Amino acid sequence: MNNQDFIRQSDGLDSKSRYTKSIWRTIHTDPPLLVGISLLCGFGLIVLFSASGGDVPVVRRQALTMVVGLVVMFTVAQFNVHFFRQWAPTLYAAGLGLLGLVLLVGVEANGAKSWLDLPGLPSFQPSELMKFVVPMLMAWYLASRPLPPRFKHLFWSAVMILVPAALIIIQNDTGTAIMVTMSGIFVVLLAGIRWRIVIAGFIALLLASPAWFLFLAQEHQKNRILTFFNPYRDPTGAGYNIIQSQIAIGSGGIYGKGWGEGAQSHLDFIPESNTDFILAVLAEEFGLLGVLFLISLYLFVLARGCYIAYAANDTFSRLLAGSITLTFFFYVFVNMAMVSGLLPVIGLPLPLISRGGTSVVTLFIGFGLLMSIQTHGRSLSI
Amino acid sequence: MAGKWQLKDHEAERELFSRRLVVAGVFVLLLFAALIIKLVNLQVSQYEYFSARSDGNRLHSQYVPPARGLIFDNRGQLLADNQPIFNLTIVREQVGDLDETLDYLDTLIDLSDDEREQFNIRLGRNRVPFSSVPLRYVLSDADKSKVAVNGYKLPGVAIEPQFVRQYPLADLAAHSVGYVSEINRAELDSFDDEERENYGGTNHIGKTGIERTYEDLLHGTVGYEIVEKNNRGQVMRRLDRTDPIAGKNISLYLDSQLQIAAEEALGDYRGAVVAIDPNTGGILAMVSKPGFDPNLFVTGISNKNYSVLVTDEINTPLFDRSTSPYPPGSTIKPFLGLGGLHHGLVDYEFTIEDPGYFRLPGVSYRWGDYTLRTAIGGGHGHTDLQKAIYQSCDTFFYDLGNRMGIDTMHGFMAQFGFGENFAVDINYARTGVLPSREWKRATRNEPWYPGDTINSSIGQGYMWATPLQLATAASIMANKGKVVQPRMLKAIDGEPYQPDIQDPVNDVVVNDADYWRYIEESMSMVVHRAYNDVFREYGTAYAAIAMEDREMPYKMAGKSGSAQVVGISQEILQSEDIQVSDPNKDHALFISYAPAENTNIKPQIAIAVFVENGEHGSSVAGPIAKKITDTYLLDILQIDFAALDSGSDTLVSLVDE
Repeated sequence: MNNQDFIRQSDGLDSKSRYTKSIWRTIHTDPPLLVGISLLCGFGLIVLFSASGGDVPVVRRQALTMVVGLVVMFTVAQFNVHFFRQWAPTLYAAGLGLLGLVLLVGVEANGAKSWLDLPGLPSFQPSELMKFVVPMLMAWYLASRPLPPRFKHLFWSAVMILVPAALIIIQNDTGTAIMVTMSGIFVVLLAGIRWRIVIAGFIALLLASPAWFLFLAQEHQKNRILTFFNPYRDPTGAGYNIIQSQIAIGSGGIYGKGWGEGAQSHLDFIPESNTDFILAVLAEEFGLLGVLFLISLYLFVLARGCYIAYAANDTFSRLLAGSITLTFFFYVFVNMAMVSGLLPVIGLPLPLISRGGTSVVTLFIGFGLLMSIQTHGRSLSI
Repeated sequence: MAGKWQLKDHEAERELFSRRLVVAGVFVLLLFAALIIKLVNLQVSQYEYFSARSDGNRLHSQYVPPARGLIFDNRGQLLADNQPIFNLTIVREQVGDLDETLDYLDTLIDLSDDEREQFNIRLGRNRVPFSSVPLRYVLSDADKSKVAVNGYKLPGVAIEPQFVRQYPLADLAAHSVGYVSEINRAELDSFDDEERENYGGTNHIGKTGIERTYEDLLHGTVGYEIVEKNNRGQVMRRLDRTDPIAGKNISLYLDSQLQIAAEEALGDYRGAVVAIDPNTGGILAMVSKPGFDPNLFVTGISNKNYSVLVTDEINTPLFDRSTSPYPPGSTIKPFLGLGGLHHGLVDYEFTIEDPGYFRLPGVSYRWGDYTLRTAIGGGHGHTDLQKAIYQSCDTFFYDLGNRMGIDTMHGFMAQFGFGENFAVDINYARTGVLPSREWKRATRNEPWYPGDTINSSIGQGYMWATPLQLATAASIMANKGKVVQPRMLKAIDGEPYQPDIQDPVNDVVVNDADYWRYIEESMSMVVHRAYNDVFREYGTAYAAIAMEDREMPYKMAGKSGSAQVVGISQEILQSEDIQVSDPNKDHALFISYAPAENTNIKPQIAIAVFVENGEHGSSVAGPIAKKITDTYLLDILQIDFAALDSGSDTLVSLVDE
């Protein structure tokens, strides 16, 4: 690193650690984060075992996905985060290229034409990559500008966020588009965008939402909004998922019905019980205490992510770590809020608990970046 | 670009970021707090509500239909059994496009239009949501496997086992045992709440005969089970169960061997036979021919089969002749004669000179003697009551009836059950007509004419009686006045059944008990009085019964009768140019009881035989009664009359048993 701007001054650092490189730092791993993630994964597998009705192959495949995720995480962590900083524009350009390719030769699954099935590669969703490529680019862009960002920079930031988001919306994958947009917005927020702009933007969004609802929203989106306000307008159709999910959660009570005893899930009343609505299974079987335990685990991971962001050496690392952490939170919150009826239904899984492939790997790439920031940053300062 | 770098203040940026991070952290905590509040609201505040909703989702109470009681005859032969069948059923709520599903099923198992229509009718009945509606009863093994293999394409279509009624003897005693069939709209509407509940799991209900009369006994009490069902309505497990109480098994007095003998004796004739044990009132045989196969009705009779049964205007197989009224003809003469003795209108010495017709004073119309219709002209001549009975002299009874008057006649005949239903448990039996002034005034708004009495004296005119009533009257005659009301039900679950008769019928009492012996002797002469040198001095049924079987080991008291079907004038009937079509021929009747005039043993069987358009009571109906009596006394009871006559006590006690 020849650019001194990015070398964090050593003043805040414990003098001892400068010389005693722990084994964890050598292998570029953050133990608290690893513990938190592992606990979440373990809990997730336990819930999935019950949610899938004791389907061992499903659980085994999910465990394998997690192992792959961990390997990816460790691999990512071995790279200095500034390697990603240098390559951010290239990755972004490549990501846009892949999104464009999806539009041409993409494969459709679950209503979204977002998969790319290239010869010689496992099929994957380029939109998933954008979840960390967009904040990476934003962090790269804003870190090299004076902060708080000026209006001109905000404009270009918006362009950088909205172009991939628009491409993903064209793929009909609103959930991912929202996540990508949010991951970029978090960077801008953390970079110190003025509150009046934030508030103005928020008000503009509020004012625009009726127009969106009336003119732009698709039928199923309108339905979801209407169902959110009154699930019983169509209790066996659009409102079915949320009603059954609330019944499952509510009937779990404080202590839950016990592992594998969730009647709602085992009698197939909960739709998508392995994926988006797995929280309903958890809440039914482990009760309020189980949900609080899950929230504690998430808070632990989030706290560690915040600490890593706070302690990072340079603005790029800070913004990236902060965005990854907040995006993770956004994921968790949106899913839990949607399943419990606090938000309209948006098709997002519960991180590390829901069954899934690509999205799990994306999460682990994010954790790998956090670990990279935490471990490389320190070693550089020596 | 270099200028920008200089503008960067790293410490300030760090401060700014940290502040933003704190704000973000506060937001995170606030949002989690909101989430926890929502969860507490769901899981703690509304726990009871959602817990109940969850149970409501999965727990379903369903009916468990009771097994219908079996029906046995008096020797333990099954008359009505339960048999497992497999039904093809559809849960409407689980089928997307019903027509599409039915069309697809059609390609698999060939649904007839009839079946589709029936299914729509069943579907139209009000029913519990998500309950299965039968599309086809009794699915064959081949069809079963076709449906099973393609089951995944047929959501909501299932093969369900069910117990249904089966009548092993098919059309034997079909009218009296009756049949069950699907509960119809009207029956459903007539249920009170308790009954509707009790029939919650039941598809069938007794429609006719015993099945209907003893529906309450046979049906049993519905059971319940709480089952856990999944999202698709499949039963996952049973949680609680209240067993149904099976219906009672009942035994009838009906003897299937005698029933078979009676049906065989009737042969190809349309008609009816009722045989009663005068000691108990138990109905031993009850035949109405032609019969039908009650099994057809159980699983929903097809329109085609049904129209065959109902459009046959001559055979009318569904019509129960044994409980339907016909003119009884001369079979009422012994009863009227007994009434004459009792009221002192005739005595053993009383005679008339029969010119072959009867005229009311001042009326030119002649009431002819129908029994002479085909015989040589002229009358019976010197005739007393006994001869009037065994030769069936109409003129004697015209005179007797005329002198008795309709009021006395009605009062006396009513004691034998004419115009009334004495049966304990055959409430669907018709009562016929025992005419009276009041009856004619009420039904026809006409006064009673003396001529009406004349017609009634020979069981014609307004007089109508069912074979059941005739057999009942015969059994009262056999019992010398002691009334034992006819009944079907002998035992419930093996326990002998004593009906609680609310309004018991009084015994018939006459001034001199010897009148009974006299009438029995007269009726015995009908069968046994041999032809002798004196012209026509023989019993009307002698040639057909006692002369046919000179070894006849017992005596039978009987009375033949013929009843005019329509008012065809004598001239037309006698004219040789005109061929009287079969349905216009007279009905042949015969009543009897046996053994008669036997000091060792009381009468064991009283019979009424009705042969539709059989023409001759004595030669057509009489031998039928004889065959049935033979079967009962000789084959079933195995009474050794020779031994009885020689005074063997052991055999008598055997018979009494």
